[in-house]
Amino acid sequence: MKKFIYIYKNKSNKKFVFNKKGDYVVFLNNSTGIYDFVINCENINLNIYGIYMGRKNEKFKITTNQIHKKSNSHSNLFIKGVFTDKSQFNFNGLIRIEKNANKSVAYQKNQNLNFSSDCLIESKPDLEILTDDVFCTHALTTSNFNKKSLYYLNSRTLDQEKSEKLLVKGFTYEIVNRVKNNIDKKTIKNINSQIEKFLL
Amino acid sequence: MKNTSYKFPKGINENIVKKISHIKNEPLWMTSFRLKAYKIFKNKKNPKWGPDLSHINFNNICYYLKSTESIYNSWEKLPKKIKETYKKLKIPEAEKNFLGGVNAQYESEAVYERVNKDLQKKGIIFYDIDTALKKYPMLFKKYFATLVQIDDNKYSALNSCVWSGGTFLYVPKNVNVELPLQAYFRINSEKFGQFERTLIIADEGSRVHYIEGCTAPIYSSISLHAAVVEIFALKNSQVKYTTIQNWSNNIYNLVTKRAIAYENGKVEWVDCNIGSRVTMKYPCVVLKGDNSKGQVLSLAYAGSNQHHDAGAKIFHIGKNTKSRVISKSVSKKGGRTSFRGLITIEKGAKDSLSYVSCNALIMDEKSRSDTYPKVVIKEKESTSQHEATVEKLGEKKLFYMTSRGIKKETAESLLVNSFIEPVTREIPIEYSVELYRLVNLEMTGAVG
Repeated sequence: MKKFIYIYKNKSNKKFVFNKKGDYVVFLNNSTGIYDFVINCENINLNIYGIYMGRKNEKFKITTNQIHKKSNSHSNLFIKGVFTDKSQFNFNGLIRIEKNANKSVAYQKNQNLNFSSDCLIESKPDLEILTDDVFCTHALTTSNFNKKSLYYLNSRTLDQEKSEKLLVKGFTYEIVNRVKNNIDKKTIKNINSQIEKFLL
Repeated sequence: MKNTSYKFPKGINENIVKKISHIKNEPLWMTSFRLKAYKIFKNKKNPKWGPDLSHINFNNICYYLKSTESIYNSWEKLPKKIKETYKKLKIPEAEKNFLGGVNAQYESEAVYERVNKDLQKKGIIFYDIDTALKKYPMLFKKYFATLVQIDDNKYSALNSCVWSGGTFLYVPKNVNVELPLQAYFRINSEKFGQFERTLIIADEGSRVHYIEGCTAPIYSSISLHAAVVEIFALKNSQVKYTTIQNWSNNIYNLVTKRAIAYENGKVEWVDCNIGSRVTMKYPCVVLKGDNSKGQVLSLAYAGSNQHHDAGAKIFHIGKNTKSRVISKSVSKKGGRTSFRGLITIEKGAKDSLSYVSCNALIMDEKSRSDTYPKVVIKEKESTSQHEATVEKLGEKKLFYMTSRGIKKETAESLLVNSFIEPVTREIPIEYSVELYRLVNLEMTGAVG
């Protein structure tokens, strides 16, 4: 059984220490603050997902620290963001593999869609690896829509607004699909309404 | 400058700065520039991030030293390890002496002289920087210290107040320099300075490739190397700057490198760092003009007690600007490599594209590898990508090779060489061969 933690619109710092082996899922939704994930036990499989939607003057400043203290554990962070108007997004991610945490596997991925030139998107995914027998990667992309996808949808009679909404939905649903078994319908509804509101 | 009767005391103060300027017989504006830089240097603090620089003792450094004044004035007195490396790398005797700082004597001077004449015919100005200041003061003043301002950082300020040696290169409009230019071509002048200053100006439509350094370890008794490099790539021009650095293991190598590319301009930095105790170097490209391009390829190899903190900085300002950063690092025997990058896409830099890829290899558990990238996006119609991986040598590949009768050390150095190949294939063949040998030497302790 997976342990599931849902954090919505939180603004305070949180520290999670994992002392028992098993699967854990953390889902961050429009939450800011510093989040420490300390892996203090072997055979932990930790997934951290995030969806961020910024409109108007919203500001998100998020720091995540994936700290591997014991060997043989996995951690996987995947955060997606869509931003428009004058919103700001500042992501500081850190993967730190301590000296004796061999055979650790850690991922970190941040993908952002940018709809406005008044947005400020800052990403700082850091890696600190103090041992050799590990596999760590991070990836980061920020861009606007793929123009070809928009063109394709337009040519299938979907107007600009609908196409954009569909693409935003497709973009964020990559995360939603991964957590939908763990969250209740109310939360999914909440995310859907966020998407609806986003491009108004 | 040729006056050798001055013996400089250690340490730095206003008088020393004035003295340096006086010996070089510099114009007044340069003297006041140096003094201004000295004040800034005194007040600036070391950066709060990155390697520990608190061990540098500024009072124990001699700030003006002619290359022939090296403490090791004979081959025998050079440290044993350096001598052995020269032998293993099969470096000719004449070059050995020169690289060891023993004496600059070339058998092939005639060849270089001819090259120099060819360059002059094309209108290329290629001098050491002190001569350029005297011969072309207007051209010099227009560009000097405009890209790397004095107060950029503590070490650019230090360089600004005590600089000596380095290269000045001006390529006139529409001239294509086919031959890669190297400091070697400049006869009878200082080739490697501790506080060198390089200024490269590629005028409209020109093309040039400049190479500095060499694969053989360069020994210096001074433990600090703080250089400043400025490159101006004007409209439609292309500049490639290759560095191959292998300082001996006692040196703090702190270099400020910056380039600006105007419309359709292209700047490439190729940066290979092997030696030194601490290296901090972040080649920077400002993509100011529309359609300009920037590329940084870097390679770092950190052995025991070494820390390479290298990276790249790219600023997208013009429309349709493109940049690519590729970084490869290897850390071994307790060495530490860090990648530190900054990509900024400013508002108005429409259709710009940036791509960053860093790969790190860790060879043993004592070593460490870090990645600290930062990406700032202020323009919606832009795309930025960043990826990084940290891993160790593939066990399966090693197993396969050893099962085919290849020794483990040889297999390891083969894999490392193939790992760094995307960078080494960008440098001239003779250098990449030497680099290949050097990596083999570092990996196995033997060549060939």
